Amino acid sequence: MATIIINGEEHTLPEGEKLNAIQLALRVGVDIPYYCWHPALSVVANCRMCEIEVGSKDPKTGEIKMIPNKLVPACQTPAKDMTVLVTNSPKVKAHQRMVMEYLLINHPLDCPVCDQAGECGLQDYSYEYGQAIHRFVEERNVNPRKDVSDLIQLNQDRCIMCTRCVRFTREITQTGELQVMRRGSHAEIDIFPGHPVDNPLAGNVVDLCPVGALLDKDFLHKQRVWFLSKHDSLCTRCSTGCNVSAEENRGALWRFKPRFNPHVNDYWICDEGRASYKTANDLALLAAMYVRQDGDLRLVPIDQALNAAGRGLARAAESGGTIAGVMSPFLTVEEAYLMASYLKGLSPASVLALGPVPTRGEDLTIQPDQHKGRTGDTSFIVARPFTIRAEKCPNRRGVEAVLEHFQGEVIGFDDLLRRAKAGEFQALYIVSDAIDPWIGEAEARELRDKVEFLVMQDTQVTTLAELADVVLAGATFAEKAGCYVNADGRLQYAEAALPPRDGSLPDLDLLAILLGRGRGPVHSRDILAELAQMVPAFAVAEGGKIPAFGIVLEQPEPVGPGVPFADPWTQPRGLKGDRPGETSPKGSRNA
Amino acid sequence: MHLNDPHLKRLTPPKLTLAEKWYLPQIADGLGVTAKHMAGVVFRNKVFTMEYPEEQHVPSPNYRGVHRLNKDEQGRVKCVACMLCATACPAHCIDIVGATAPETWPDREKYCESFVIDELRCIYCGMCEEACPVEAIELTGFYDLTGLSREQMIFDKAKLLSVFDATKDAEPMRFSLPPQPAAASTPEQRTSETG
Ligand code: SF4
Ligand code: SF4
Ligand code: SF4
Repeated sequence: MATIIINGEEHTLPEGEKLNAIQLALRVGVDIPYYCWHPALSVVANCRMCEIEVGSKDPKTGEIKMIPNKLVPACQTPAKDMTVLVTNSPKVKAHQRMVMEYLLINHPLDCPVCDQAGECGLQDYSYEYGQAIHRFVEERNVNPRKDVSDLIQLNQDRCIMCTRCVRFTREITQTGELQVMRRGSHAEIDIFPGHPVDNPLAGNVVDLCPVGALLDKDFLHKQRVWFLSKHDSLCTRCSTGCNVSAEENRGALWRFKPRFNPHVNDYWICDEGRASYKTANDLALLAAMYVRQDGDLRLVPIDQALNAAGRGLARAAESGGTIAGVMSPFLTVEEAYLMASYLKGLSPASVLALGPVPTRGEDLTIQPDQHKGRTGDTSFIVARPFTIRAEKCPNRRGVEAVLEHFQGEVIGFDDLLRRAKAGEFQALYIVSDAIDPWIGEAEARELRDKVEFLVMQDTQVTTLAELADVVLAGATFAEKAGCYVNADGRLQYAEAALPPRDGSLPDLDLLAILLGRGRGPVHSRDILAELAQMVPAFAVAEGGKIPAFGIVLEQPEPVGPGVPFADPWTQPRGLKGDRPGETSPKGSRNA
Repeated sequence: MHLNDPHLKRLTPPKLTLAEKWYLPQIADGLGVTAKHMAGVVFRNKVFTMEYPEEQHVPSPNYRGVHRLNKDEQGRVKCVACMLCATACPAHCIDIVGATAPETWPDREKYCESFVIDELRCIYCGMCEEACPVEAIELTGFYDLTGLSREQMIFDKAKLLSVFDATKDAEPMRFSLPPQPAAASTPEQRTSETG
């Protein structure tokens, strides 16, 4: 069994993984500070923050030999059998203090106006490893701020030249827009004139930057990060299902940040997904429920609207007419399950169809290479591709799996439209929650005329809603909790980030009330547990539990909990760890 | 802080003596003070009250009254919208909207587009002026704060700046001067700058 000795304690090395000293130390709860190292980028060891004492132990004699007189960057040190690491000796600490003082030589110390304050590597490490005095009395370099793209601003005076951003554009997107210009204390990050950072993943350089040098202009000066509450959510802008943290304050979303998931999005999200949080803050979202009375849509309380919808659909079923339900690929699997149970419960002859699946362009895969285009040590990298899908909805596969269980086949939206126009259905219940318009006005009118009773459940004010008999206001992606199945068949859970808007209810609650299930809100986890029991395709989600990185539907063997990763300075401090029995934030982020 | 925190000190209140439990000695003590003041007014003309509003009360220099937003030498609002005051405020009565500073302010990066304090919710603790890194918010000696509605007592940026104009002569900005080089080397100042 391979062991490594860190600060005098022996730890077992995990099998089959090539880790460096920082990664391994993090897993056993020892912090080695770093800036320039990132698990997806090659090792260049230029910030010198992670230097520690390294040595080896002779397996036979047990004698420990340290590398004399010299500190070694931990990011470059492989975690091998019988390696000895010392991370807390006076020599290491003095070195860390020195590096911090050097890094801050030209730093403007403008934390009060810096958006990174609160999740800044310089702030956190100054506090933990730095010192309060500064001996540099000469004038500091002043660099004007500049734009490196329409979306990204660079405040060069805050930069610590870690080159994470440069390596990202070279090694991951392979577009190479950013580089270091000039040398020494004149070094600057810059673009070639007229060639801004414009690639579909450009926004990630902002997340990579450990300090406030690269900033998202969309978020610039709007919020302080410590006001934001983070919710583990999913991007619903394409069927990749990137893991994001949806960050909320005062009832609005302010930004999306990527969350690491090695099976889905690695450490990144695309710029389109990053900007997609905005639709949740739209002031024009449907904000009330309506029922058609004497030809006009009247605003009614939620219970009346639901009663009207329930009565109308039940009447259609009793009179022997056929009910058709349209389940959009924006629904969670729990919502799809409740809706299918509801309509099939009203009449087994009900027809269920998949809503329109928006597609745009072609799948775009960004495939970083393990070695090609990389500059430093690449031996610790696991190169993983990132795909932006053409299918611009989160849950086609999940809704299809539910449909297949309930009626054995998936009826497409075009098919349903054709049958509806032939006058086959007496009542139509459409749940959309889609973001972009999906039906033309003429077609909407034609569809309306062919059905007697139309219930529209949506978040947007659409033509079809204006024509409907009952309009129910559902939840946006940010207001609902539930699971989606991505393009690879991975079932993932998204937390709700916002409370329901005034006048609306989450779709899951609307459907539960229609189904007559008890009082009070329903929990997506309970419904998922039920779904896992009733529908064999979802059996992997037994008990409503899904591991952190999600679980693949057709591949029920456990993938293991996995090792989450996030740079330490992005972690909220002091939240966990002051309760006995709970691990410290340092330990817990590397469970 | 958790109940098991080792830094927590546990105190038990001292036991009352029999005389203290009886209370009458304390009441007599209190009445003695009242009698002394009455005697002072009657025999030595020593008055403790004042004829407000004909006579104006001047509070002590560290009195904490209505807030003001300070202006710099160019008349711009000093606040850089760091929202540290809003973070420190225990009453959550400060609401700030930050924005990128206009192009014409090359020395500034950020400023407050809107700055609202609910003077009714405020508990006048002074944490906001303590937190401010640029001495932009200060509590003035202005105390006779009245209004006809709740809305009138919610002060916006214009009003808070006007409080500055009204009080700046009587109460100059406390930290308007940069620290003097000689003074800056005293150990006390050094720690307050760097810490
Ligand atoms: S801009 Fe940020 S990421 Fe790029 S080199 Fe500077 S500090 Fe590093
Ligand atoms: S004085 Fe205290 S309560 Fe009032 S605004 Fe300042 S911090 Fe808040
Ligand atoms: S602490 Fe000072 S600078 Fe910061 S927002 Fe408040 S008043 Fe403005």
